[in-house]
Amino acid sequence: MVRARVWDGPIRLVHWLLVGLIGFSWWSSEDHLDWHRWSGYAVLGLVVFRVYWGLFGSETARFASFVKGPRAIRAYLPKALSRDPAGGLGHNPLGALSIVAILALLVMQVTTGLFAVDVDGFESGPLSDRVTFDTGRVFAELHELSFRGLQAMVLLHIAAVAFYLVWKRTNLIRPMVTGRQEVPEDPGFRFAPVWRLAVGVVIAAAVAWFVSRGLRL
Amino acid sequence: MAVMNRGAMIALAVGIGAAVAASGSVAHNEPMPKGKMSASAHAAHMRHENFEKLGGAFKGLNDELRKGEPDRALVARHAQTMATLTNALPGWFPKGSGVEARPKSEAKANIWTDPTDFAAKASASQVQVSKLNQAAVAGDFAAVRAQVRPVGGTCKGCHDVYRQEKKKS
Repeated sequence: MVRARVWDGPIRLVHWLLVGLIGFSWWSSEDHLDWHRWSGYAVLGLVVFRVYWGLFGSETARFASFVKGPRAIRAYLPKALSRDPAGGLGHNPLGALSIVAILALLVMQVTTGLFAVDVDGFESGPLSDRVTFDTGRVFAELHELSFRGLQAMVLLHIAAVAFYLVWKRTNLIRPMVTGRQEVPEDPGFRFAPVWRLAVGVVIAAAVAWFVSRGLRL
Repeated sequence: MAVMNRGAMIALAVGIGAAVAASGSVAHNEPMPKGKMSASAHAAHMRHENFEKLGGAFKGLNDELRKGEPDRALVARHAQTMATLTNALPGWFPKGSGVEARPKSEAKANIWTDPTDFAAKASASQVQVSKLNQAAVAGDFAAVRAQVRPVGGTCKGCHDVYRQEKKKS
């Protein structure tokens, strides 16, 4: 057995930062809207970075490497339900769906938040001046609705990880912390160089900053 | 980006469909119903419209303040609207105009069982909005900006106790 490198630093950092920020955003949504906005900008930056990393990042992060069609998903189902330890590394075809769904929900979450207005017309997202009060209120409702969806997906995600741990005796949590997993043979994934990371961080930070300013320079 | 495969296309289509369906399920602000209704129901609907105007004016003021050079006349107009509405606010709650008059009403029963505290909170709001209005009339944007939070605080202070949030959908 060898300890193969599966997840690079950026992927793990994005994952755990999202865990923290989603929780923090939830907590701050009632009485700490200044922090809630900052948390939202950070999530926006992370999502932008994750999409960039899905296109130009390390092999296991790329959408092209893990997003599969219905046939591959159907073929994977019996493997997922069997008690055999999961053999594959990286996202499996089923897990890929939840990654895409969570990312899409985060995009929904951030976008609706940007235009949302509270009932008093006091707290609002940085782009809310582009819409009327009524429309801003609709965005606020959608912001809550999409959070229900996000909560459901997070629960499903945790349930799936627990299922793998208990039923399949496969620990998916440790690799997401250490980046490495015990396998018979190292598949030799390709990892993106640091300059690509730097470019992604700059793009993500610039987008988040620009949006936080209400698209004003 | 690699050419999107069929599965991804289907997932995208389903996602967009779900988003559209979700937005359709959120009803927009209801207009005042036509036809005859009781005085209480009328009061409840009028109150709703007035709060919409009040929120709209506060949002309009905040939008204006975000700009590098706010329009002084516009800021003053929104502040004036807020002052007029807030001063009239205590009269928007005649007895019997709660959920019994309009099921969608978010007014809680304690408005009428705890009238002294309710009046005190309404009065606190009038004081803060009046300060906002004075600053706006003077064209002192720094003072207007500084007054936004106290005003928002009195909105929230009352809503936390006397408003039961209800989903529009």
